[in-house]
Amino acid sequence: MSSRFLSLTLLFIAASVASAAETLHVFTWADYIDSALVKRFEKTHGCKVAIDTFDSNESMYAKLKAGAGGYDLVFPSSYIIPQMVQQGMIQELDQTKLPNIANIDPEVLDKVADKTMKHGVPYTLGYTVIGYRKDKVKNIEASWSTLARTDLKKRVTLLNDMRETIGAALKSLGYSMNTRDEKELNEARDVLIGWKKGITKFDNEAYKAGVDSGEFVVVHGYGGDLWQVMQRNKKVGVVIPAEGVSVACDEMVIPKSAPNTALAHQFIDYLLDGKNAAQNMQSIGYLCPNSAALKIVGKEFLQNPALTISAEVKLKSEVIQDIGEDLKKYTKVWDEVKAAR
Amino acid sequence: MPEVEPHRKAKTSEEWLVTLPSLVWLGLFFLVPTVVILILGFKPADLTGGVAHGWTLANFRSLVSVEYAELFWRTVWITGLTSFLCVVIALPAGYAMARASKRWRNMLLLLVAVPFWTNFLIRIFAWKTLLQVDGPVSAFLEWSSLFEEAPTLLYNNWAVLVVMVYTQLPFAILPIYAAAEKFDFSLLEAARDLGASKRTAFLQVFVPGISRGISAAAMMVFVAALGMYVIPDLVGGVDGEMIGNKIVQRVQGDRNLPVASALAAALLLLVSGLTFGGLKAAFRREQS
Amino acid sequence: MRPSRFPKLVLSGVLVFLYAPIAVLVLNSFNASHFGGNWEGFTWSWYERLWDADDLWEALRNSVFIGVLASLASMLLGSLSAFALHRYQSRLQKIHLGALTVPLVLPDILTGISLLLFFVMIRMETGFLTIWIAHVTFCLSYVTMVVLARLQDFDFTLIDAARDLGASRWQVVREITLPLLAPGIIAGGLLAFTLSIDDFVITFFVQGPGATTLPIRVYSMMKVSQNLPVVNALSTLLLGLTFIVVAFSFRLTRSKL
Repeated sequence: MSSRFLSLTLLFIAASVASAAETLHVFTWADYIDSALVKRFEKTHGCKVAIDTFDSNESMYAKLKAGAGGYDLVFPSSYIIPQMVQQGMIQELDQTKLPNIANIDPEVLDKVADKTMKHGVPYTLGYTVIGYRKDKVKNIEASWSTLARTDLKKRVTLLNDMRETIGAALKSLGYSMNTRDEKELNEARDVLIGWKKGITKFDNEAYKAGVDSGEFVVVHGYGGDLWQVMQRNKKVGVVIPAEGVSVACDEMVIPKSAPNTALAHQFIDYLLDGKNAAQNMQSIGYLCPNSAALKIVGKEFLQNPALTISAEVKLKSEVIQDIGEDLKKYTKVWDEVKAAR
Repeated sequence: MPEVEPHRKAKTSEEWLVTLPSLVWLGLFFLVPTVVILILGFKPADLTGGVAHGWTLANFRSLVSVEYAELFWRTVWITGLTSFLCVVIALPAGYAMARASKRWRNMLLLLVAVPFWTNFLIRIFAWKTLLQVDGPVSAFLEWSSLFEEAPTLLYNNWAVLVVMVYTQLPFAILPIYAAAEKFDFSLLEAARDLGASKRTAFLQVFVPGISRGISAAAMMVFVAALGMYVIPDLVGGVDGEMIGNKIVQRVQGDRNLPVASALAAALLLLVSGLTFGGLKAAFRREQS
Repeated sequence: MRPSRFPKLVLSGVLVFLYAPIAVLVLNSFNASHFGGNWEGFTWSWYERLWDADDLWEALRNSVFIGVLASLASMLLGSLSAFALHRYQSRLQKIHLGALTVPLVLPDILTGISLLLFFVMIRMETGFLTIWIAHVTFCLSYVTMVVLARLQDFDFTLIDAARDLGASRWQVVREITLPLLAPGIIAGGLLAFTLSIDDFVITFFVQGPGATTLPIRVYSMMKVSQNLPVVNALSTLLLGLTFIVVAFSFRLTRSKL
């Protein structure tokens, strides 16, 4: 009996080792790459793509910092990349292996820190907006002040993301999302404490299912995620707060410790291919800043409010930036908000 | 324990041989990491999520604040109430199990254990389905006309409490049942013969008789619930954070390992203090 | 004396309480609705989706893989510990017992974070190895306690007798100690396997690239409404399997009696 048990175990180990032959380890946000595209890549390259997910840049950073060394490809937002570079976490890209890099929309490069794509290639552009149930919320306003409404029986969520949520409060006051001014931050704190009275939860992922099922009626969330929900549920809509929103550019970077850089380059280039990028964005609902792809996707898709914002709002919108030492001020405000009653 | 036979020379070397493997393992992967936490708590944090040079008391000092006091208090009351409820429910349940016929007893034991072979996250999500807006429980509440419109059941401390009791209950039932099974039930009948009511007999004869099982149950539940982080995260609301959630936020969101360590050290202190206190009280009771 | 009905009522209530969520998840694995609040018709489609959910199956395989290796290691270490604790009375064993008891009364989150910090400090990459180490660490004490309980009725004169009759140390272990302790060791191993395969909190901290266990995968899947019923389908299958195993072992033990 014990010898049979042992041989079974050995078989198990052997099977696991054998299947680990060539694997691309990707670390990204949930529902962020079209699964059909991934399957096709696996087939053509004879490899396996293993996807692990994170729900905030901070937790991704913490995980990598804590020694998660085997990832080949990571999708951080642009603001955290300079710090990752400074920490020696990511390697320079070999652009000769990325012919499709020419597809990247030059306008986007203007907004990100790494303009020459030395370390990262822009993957998507996304906005943080407000999603709501058309059937349950009357007279919705395109303003952050919607989050202050008290008539929604607490079926409201805010992102559990310090920078995004404090940023929304700052925007509602007309301040910059990257402010270092403590007075402005304190005002934002008071606004947030007010919002907190009307919400049921701080949440980064479950709000999608919640607004889909009608459990939540107003949610603070990422445009593409809400677009995905809207595709299957016509009762869900979005509004873009007129005070301006946060614009996030997520990029693809290769960690220094990546075991499989060649395959990682191939995968980046594969995703940058015009046709693939078009298919991808119509599946995940985030705009890919890819000139070739933008020509392929339909106009109707591009005009979806979850994807594209008006020039007027765009002017007031901002990209979240790394603010170094001053991050402490945000942490303090965030703690105070969480502890407030 | 058996007598030690002193005439065997190989004795000590044999003892070391069988003791060392686990002792070394625990020393390396349990003692050292615990010491690491204590040390890191006295280190300053650098902004990039690392640990800076030098020493500081700032991390521990930052724990002395109203916010943390509230956090600790909330953690302790939710945990305490959870343990209390678990024990109160487990007492009659364990009693009924111990009094069942032998065949039934094994069956019941299994019935109590089997739900716990379904992953605990999956069971929490099942609770979310049960308690959701317009879900089965609120439908029942409205149907029974207890409420005209059922209140929001999820995302508050009561939801945390219910799910917490749910996940911990078997850890209370099993030790209490184990103690009750060894209890001499004729004592109860004797008490009844002497004129005690059923309730008095239960409370004054049965409960003291299985006090060891009760303290084991309370302790197991308390310790496991104290560090809970998943349940407040999934079914708790905006005011439901417990120490565990704060630790995770410090590690994952704020990139501040030293403050996380200081918090963990405080939790460690709390647990060991309570465990030690509990053991001491149990010991004293046994002696008297 | 007629026993009071109250305890039985409580026990029935407890069973309802324990099985209500289980019933919900089994029902919802056949429910056409994504959200499970209301019944919208019968469907097999979640099981079909489950069949294609490669990442779930892989996570399950990872979990079983880690669970088997972790329980083997903790069976080995735990049996040695229990043997030592039972056989010798010395200051060393007092320390030994203390070292084994403390992990039992420490919340998971502390074990998780302290191991993570430790791995960061020694610059060990997180992955299968770190999960395995963590699981052995928290299983070890449980296995020891189970085997120790079994040892209470172990007759040590057998060992001394065999040694006096000229048996080698290894012979004694193989022919006497192991067979007599086997039920205890196997019970301990099963407990370790259960603990390992169910653990989320500790694994959450020390897990690394590709080493995604079932609870970790489930946690990220469940936040997306599209996948909830698929996870329900998987749990229903696993639950069915549990019941079959339980029924089988019941019959096995009964036929022996």
